[in-house]
Amino acid sequence: MRVSSSTLFDSNVASLSQQQSRLMQTQQQVSTGRRILTPAADPVAAARALDLSQSDAVNTQYTSNRNAARHTLSLAESNLQSVTTLLQDVKTATVTAGNGSLNNSDRQTMAIDLASRLEELVGLANSTDGVGNYLFSGFQSKTQPFVNTATGVTYAGDDGLRMMQVSASRQMPSSDSGADIFMRIKNGNGTFVTQAAAANTGSGVASLGNVTNPAAVTGHNYQISFSIAAGVTTYSVTDNSTLPTPTVLSTGNPYVSGQAISFDGMQFDIQGAPANGDSFTVTPSVNESVFKTISDLITALKTPVSSTAPGSAALLSGSLSRGLNNLDNALNKVLTTRSSLGLRLNEIDALQTTGDDLGLQFQQALSQLQNVDYNKALSDLTQQQISLQAAQQSFVKVSNLSLFNYL
Amino acid sequence: MGSNIFGSALSGMNAAQYGLATTQHNIANANTPGFSRQVIDQQARPGQQTGAGFLGQGVDVVGVRRLYDQFISTQVLQEQTQATYLTTYHTAISEIDNLLADSAAGASPAMQQFFDSLNGVANSPESIPARQTLLGNAQFAVNRFQAIDQRLTDITTSLNGQLTNGVTTINSYAQQIAALNANIKRAAANAGPGQMPNDLLDQRDQLINLLSKEVKASVQSQSNGAVNVFIGNGQGLVVDEQAYSLTTLQSTSDPSKLDIGFQYQGNSIVLPQSSLQGGNMGAYLTFRDQTLEPARNALGRVALGLATSMNQQNQMGQDLTGALGGNLFTVAAPRVSNGANNNGTATLTASIADVGALTTSDYQLRFDGTNYTMLRLSDNAVTNLGTTLPLTPGTIDGFSFNLTAGASGMMKGDTFLIRPTADGARDIAVAITDPAKIAAAAPIRGNATVTNTGTGTISAGTVNTPLPLNPNLQATVTIAFNSATTFTVSGAVPAVTGSVAYTPGGNISYNGWTVQINGTPAVGDSFTVQKNTNATGDNRNALLMVGLQNKSILANGTASFQGAYGQLVGQIGAKTNELSVTSTAQTSMLNETIKQQQSVSGVNLDEEAANLLRYQRAYEAAAQALKIANTMFDTLLALR
Repeated sequence: MRVSSSTLFDSNVASLSQQQSRLMQTQQQVSTGRRILTPAADPVAAARALDLSQSDAVNTQYTSNRNAARHTLSLAESNLQSVTTLLQDVKTATVTAGNGSLNNSDRQTMAIDLASRLEELVGLANSTDGVGNYLFSGFQSKTQPFVNTATGVTYAGDDGLRMMQVSASRQMPSSDSGADIFMRIKNGNGTFVTQAAAANTGSGVASLGNVTNPAAVTGHNYQISFSIAAGVTTYSVTDNSTLPTPTVLSTGNPYVSGQAISFDGMQFDIQGAPANGDSFTVTPSVNESVFKTISDLITALKTPVSSTAPGSAALLSGSLSRGLNNLDNALNKVLTTRSSLGLRLNEIDALQTTGDDLGLQFQQALSQLQNVDYNKALSDLTQQQISLQAAQQSFVKVSNLSLFNYL
Repeated sequence: MGSNIFGSALSGMNAAQYGLATTQHNIANANTPGFSRQVIDQQARPGQQTGAGFLGQGVDVVGVRRLYDQFISTQVLQEQTQATYLTTYHTAISEIDNLLADSAAGASPAMQQFFDSLNGVANSPESIPARQTLLGNAQFAVNRFQAIDQRLTDITTSLNGQLTNGVTTINSYAQQIAALNANIKRAAANAGPGQMPNDLLDQRDQLINLLSKEVKASVQSQSNGAVNVFIGNGQGLVVDEQAYSLTTLQSTSDPSKLDIGFQYQGNSIVLPQSSLQGGNMGAYLTFRDQTLEPARNALGRVALGLATSMNQQNQMGQDLTGALGGNLFTVAAPRVSNGANNNGTATLTASIADVGALTTSDYQLRFDGTNYTMLRLSDNAVTNLGTTLPLTPGTIDGFSFNLTAGASGMMKGDTFLIRPTADGARDIAVAITDPAKIAAAAPIRGNATVTNTGTGTISAGTVNTPLPLNPNLQATVTIAFNSATTFTVSGAVPAVTGSVAYTPGGNISYNGWTVQINGTPAVGDSFTVQKNTNATGDNRNALLMVGLQNKSILANGTASFQGAYGQLVGQIGAKTNELSVTSTAQTSMLNETIKQQQSVSGVNLDEEAANLLRYQRAYEAAAQALKIANTMFDTLLALR
């Protein structure tokens, strides 16, 4: 083919500039480490990389969510650990208070000690996360949840649980309702409570009792009344829930200390010697806050015991055993919550591992999509360099060829 | 006899001189664009009859001819216009390709930061710094949307400038071609048959070549040497010696855009985009209408979707002060413009009804004298809107519209252009400055009474969708169990009489909220659902907002915000990639054809050098013959 002189130049210049642009692109890939310099280089990979970057960022966000959740959960856990220790101390004190060798002033001292422990407990229940947000007030993080009023400690928070998005599919509560931990504790054995009347003069003390037949439990209020006639102690059982005309379930039952008394599916015993006219009540369990339990104990310890009045000692003994039982119930609640906290912390750790793995996968996928393969890029670079050099040299040679050189 | 030799030698010298002049002309124009090399046509003079037969009398130069192939030149024109189109389109689209996906400048990282800080608020809803950060990042995202939109607007504006320049260039080419037509006609008429003013032809061909870089043109040769040049659907740009001109007109459907008009007898006729193909003009128009505007719409849809769904969720929550949430973002309204040729008085308003159903298309409302129709411009789908006002359906693809007739209503041929998402990115703004106004909490909470003895628990509760909220949402409702399997409800509107059966875990829904009660409530236990007072630590609504990030909201529930944005990036990237490949291919095809054309018409300096030698030798030889003839005369004269 006939070649015009300008074609010779034009096509060489075009090929040189094409090679240079390729060389520059490879050089940019090497210097930025990115394979996709603009989305046009690989539109599918570019759009996918955007998606993956978001997934990766969201995954990273879940990590910081988990850290935040771990922080509040750990705070609550260490707080409840203090509560556990405190309740165990109170329990020990209550057991000690039952020691018959203590006198009234000893118990008075113990009551003062318990009062300060109660203050401490209220303080713990009102603890904050360090920036003024209460841990156990539900949604109302700025509202002090436990308030000491004339009628005892009341709960001003709510049942709200703060959920945290700790992984794509898991929202985890990072808080617990204070009402559940400190307020909603069933007293007695969980079904009913036995209690001696305050006016009792005998030494009778009722046991906690247990349920023998759940189906027969009525939830009514009962009264056990003692009478002594001719040296024989008998008692009657009355259902007071049918007032104004109480139903007498049984009467004239012979009393033997420590022998089981059972009716309507419930069973307990009374030990000691009830006096004539002494009575005991059996009522359904209700919720009793741990604060009330401790403050009841304080009241019981403050009440003097007279050696001449066996009733007062029996009352104290009954109060202490009820208090111990309620403390156990409260401790159970706290421990249950702590085990749930521990489970959640464990789950966070497990999710953290999964999240880290996932993050690694995202990074790998992103790197495969975006990052340059240096081996290939460098070998390309060398190749393009050589071919550009060859083109430049041959162009100079060819362009020097002209017949005019010889004219 | 001697005079014979004189004449013949002289003709040889003349011919050689012609040859040298033409060769010199070729060498001088070796680098002139559009120049075709020229050669002289020599012809032997007819012989003089003698007794011995016909005796040669020398040579004549009968013509100077340019070496030119009409077929290849037409091919160059066609490929030139297509190559320019693709290259210009590629250059234009590369600009937004980079802009959208840039990890620093794209909208993707800004949206991610917004949702990151939303997570921060969900993690500590009472924290003012966390809320302030969210507002800051909301502003950042808004700025990013606006910046990208501004960049697209800048590109539109500069396209208007380029269209105007293109029109000026085309008009100037047309006039020059027409002037050359006149000169060529005159020159050809004066010259002998078959003799053409080669250099003028080259100049005209070069102008047509330049014209075809601007717009696709077809050329028709006339017998008198003139050419007619047509563009578009046969609009004659140059007819003989007459040049017509193009002009730019403000678009009838969108005042921000320029249309191209053809001026004919004082009137301007708008040329549709489809008729202006190829070249720079075709590339600008196609890029603007098929890439830039859809990109702006797609970006606007993401911004609209983000703003609207965040607003809706915020309205379903309660802010830090205990008030119900309002709008977080200001949301753009659809852009409605009247057709410039509308004769009626009807006015049209439009609003966004459902962001999930929005498309990225523009729409045109038309009236043909009887029927109202809505045309979706992306795929020309037509929806019939009936023959009377109000139009039904009043909502199409997520936007609703309302046509008010006015005095004379809509006239036949009147149109309205509706661009639902065009301003989405431009007009998005953060509506609040007070960080407390972020509604992280839910407006209600379920609560169990502290004295409950059963194991029943109540969920915190959720607000029923969609908006508007129930006016009694925050009224206190008490659910009291009167047996193990039934409860009574007080405070609900409308009031609930009698007992309601209890299903553990079942939805209990009154006053616009839903709660679940689980477990075994005891008789006498009660639960309340009430206004969520003092709920500084509640993050339920913030969590729902966070959840919107991964929810497929847009495009009828098929794409998340990021997904829809990714689609845009992918589409632009794919188109850019396609153009990069096709423009390279087309350019190398063009170069091949130019090489072909050059192999016919181009100047080869070696060849010209050889020709120089050839004609020089011919001249020398002819001169030698003259010298011999002279010597012959001398010899003859010396005989005496």
